[in-house]
Amino acid sequence: MKKTSKIVARHIFLALLAFIWLIPIIWLVVTTFSAQKGINTNHFFPEHWTLANYHQLFFEPDSAANFPAWFKNSMIIGVCCCIISSLFVIMTAYAFSFLRFKGRKQLMSFSLILGMFPGVLSMIAIYFVLKLIGLTDSLLGLIVVYSGASGLGYLILKGFFDTIPVSLHEAAKLEGASEATIFSRIVVPLSKPMIVYTVINSFLNPWMDFVMARLMIKSKDPSQWTMAIGLFNLLQRALINQYFAYFCCGGLMVALPIAILFIVMQKFYVEGVTGGAVKG
Amino acid sequence: MRNFFKKRAASLKEFGSAVKNGDIWVKLSLLIMGMGYFGRKQILKGILMILLEVGVIASFVSVFLPYMSKLSTLGTVQREMIFDPLTMSETVNDYDNSLLILLYGIIGILIIIAFIALYIGNIKAVYRLQEMKKNGEHINSFKEDLMSFKNDKFHITLLTIPAIGVIIINVIPILFMICIAFTNYDETHQPPAYLFTWVGIKNFVRLFTNSQTLTFGYTFVRVLAWTLIWAILATATTFIGGILLAQFINHEHTMAKGLWRTLFVITIGIPQFVTLLLVGKMFGDYGIVNTICENVGILDFFKHIGLLKQSAGYIPFLSQPGWAHVTIILVNIWVGVPYQMLVATGILMNIPSDQIESAKIDGATKFQTFWKITMPYVLFITGPSLIQSVIQNINNFNVIYLLTHTYKTTNMALANSNANEVDLLITWLFRLTNEYSNFKMASVIGIITFLISAALSLLTFSRMIGGDKEEVYR
Repeated sequence: MKKTSKIVARHIFLALLAFIWLIPIIWLVVTTFSAQKGINTNHFFPEHWTLANYHQLFFEPDSAANFPAWFKNSMIIGVCCCIISSLFVIMTAYAFSFLRFKGRKQLMSFSLILGMFPGVLSMIAIYFVLKLIGLTDSLLGLIVVYSGASGLGYLILKGFFDTIPVSLHEAAKLEGASEATIFSRIVVPLSKPMIVYTVINSFLNPWMDFVMARLMIKSKDPSQWTMAIGLFNLLQRALINQYFAYFCCGGLMVALPIAILFIVMQKFYVEGVTGGAVKG
Repeated sequence: MRNFFKKRAASLKEFGSAVKNGDIWVKLSLLIMGMGYFGRKQILKGILMILLEVGVIASFVSVFLPYMSKLSTLGTVQREMIFDPLTMSETVNDYDNSLLILLYGIIGILIIIAFIALYIGNIKAVYRLQEMKKNGEHINSFKEDLMSFKNDKFHITLLTIPAIGVIIINVIPILFMICIAFTNYDETHQPPAYLFTWVGIKNFVRLFTNSQTLTFGYTFVRVLAWTLIWAILATATTFIGGILLAQFINHEHTMAKGLWRTLFVITIGIPQFVTLLLVGKMFGDYGIVNTICENVGILDFFKHIGLLKQSAGYIPFLSQPGWAHVTIILVNIWVGVPYQMLVATGILMNIPSDQIESAKIDGATKFQTFWKITMPYVLFITGPSLIQSVIQNINNFNVIYLLTHTYKTTNMALANSNANEVDLLITWLFRLTNEYSNFKMASVIGIITFLISAALSLLTFSRMIGGDKEEVYR
């Protein structure tokens, strides 16, 4: 009897914790249905429910808020970066894990040192470099910025590659396979879960990023913004009373694809996170 | 470091002997880089080399040299409007742009270094060809050379493009910002209208001085202290919270483990610029949390125990020092625990169960098992990544900036150097550049942040990997 009550208590406690964790999310979701456009400071749940915010979000872009354009911009950036960064990361990790060449160790330590510089520091200089090439305020510029240096993020994947037996590699080589063949026919299929993790991450980095976009995009035209800039802008003092519900709708729409992706890919994600932890 | 110089010296020596013992083709390639290949009938490769040499030298002379010659002063001619009597109109004079001079200067230097390396490598390669010919070895045709990029030179194929990306997006900007720290580039010296120039270590001195007008010293100590406290607290709370939560969910009596995990994971799935802005609004001075606190009497309770003044109309969750610090840490627990829970889940699943079994048989309590077996194991596995996450928290821009971007400080000394009580080094740096164009001080702060991160990383490598602890759990 005592044991059952203990188990019940355990689940009640968990439920309580989960509830605390979900409060902001619940607030986000219910506010999207609020008839009051501004922030509701008196009641947790909206007083009048409506779907008008969603209609505004998808079909009524105006001079301050243009969700369809933001979504499109973020999506273009996300997909392009996803392809480029994944390729860069996989290529770098493979080279450092399987190939032995002159200067390999030095290159790896060098990349570690580079990674220690605070990102915000170099962002300003990146802005100047892009200005020089004339790529600020453009999607292409952001794509270059997000994916250009992505080769540095090879550590986790390399940690995984390191666990693939060398004998496999050698056997393939004896059969006369070139390095390129081994790479595409053996290693890539073997490390599918980890590559899925890399791909997801490569998409999520630009999709969820805020700082870089804020520094790179100085345009005053909302249709050129990304999701992060647009939504951040809506919370300015002058706009928040008109657009808070809109912000919540937008936020939910940004989150929905990721949340689904996350839940489906949870297993891969755990593997990725811990894979990195073990290898340090 | 010493190793590096030794290798360079050896490489130079090899270069010397190649020049000395090389035949006419090798000597010709000293001047025209492709000649050595022509001599061995590698015509295509030779043409490519010549094109490369001509291209580099041409672009260098026409584009980079004019800028590099001014690198020592960063330009002397300020932008002015001159009246041109010929066209009867105002025109801009031929002014110097310090920013471009510095940027092109850095790129130019990098190109010189790369070109010298290529040049030496070329002579050595050509000499090797001569030796091969003398010994009657097979010399690759152009097609075979191309094929080698799929085999023994595969690393070049793989790494070239990512490396170029890293150089453009990472190396050049970092070098550039390091240089900026030694100039007077700030809002009163902004190109193209104004010039900036080298000032030596003045900015570093400035960061540590404190006077009536200059409060960087005062501010720096405070910001640094809060940065370190924040980094350690944020890492410790989320780490312990994550392990406890993972432990709790993993417990044999918990039903529907996957469901519970998913509930917590949802919060990671929403971008921080949404959740943190939202939470920031919830905890605002007139936000929903304050309304609820007032209704259930928490506001009065805080007044009663003296935490708030009697006249206070709200709880300043994110608008007063002290309160804001606590709120930030709490919100960060909310942000970070689910992630750490995922990490810990993965690790706890791999924990050797025989140790826990035997502890149980020996009569250890659950608490003892947790602290004496589980925790040391988890710490061992995650130790390096723990220090990594301290570094990440030092650079945790999102949580601080998105929660407190509307924070106004009342401390004049802090405001004077554009910081506030809840700023980390990284958000201070961001504010200095994005809002106040004070690039010189921002770069100095960036360099200091790097030094701290680098020192911590060194600690990781010597502590965790050095020593003979690696085999403990094998």
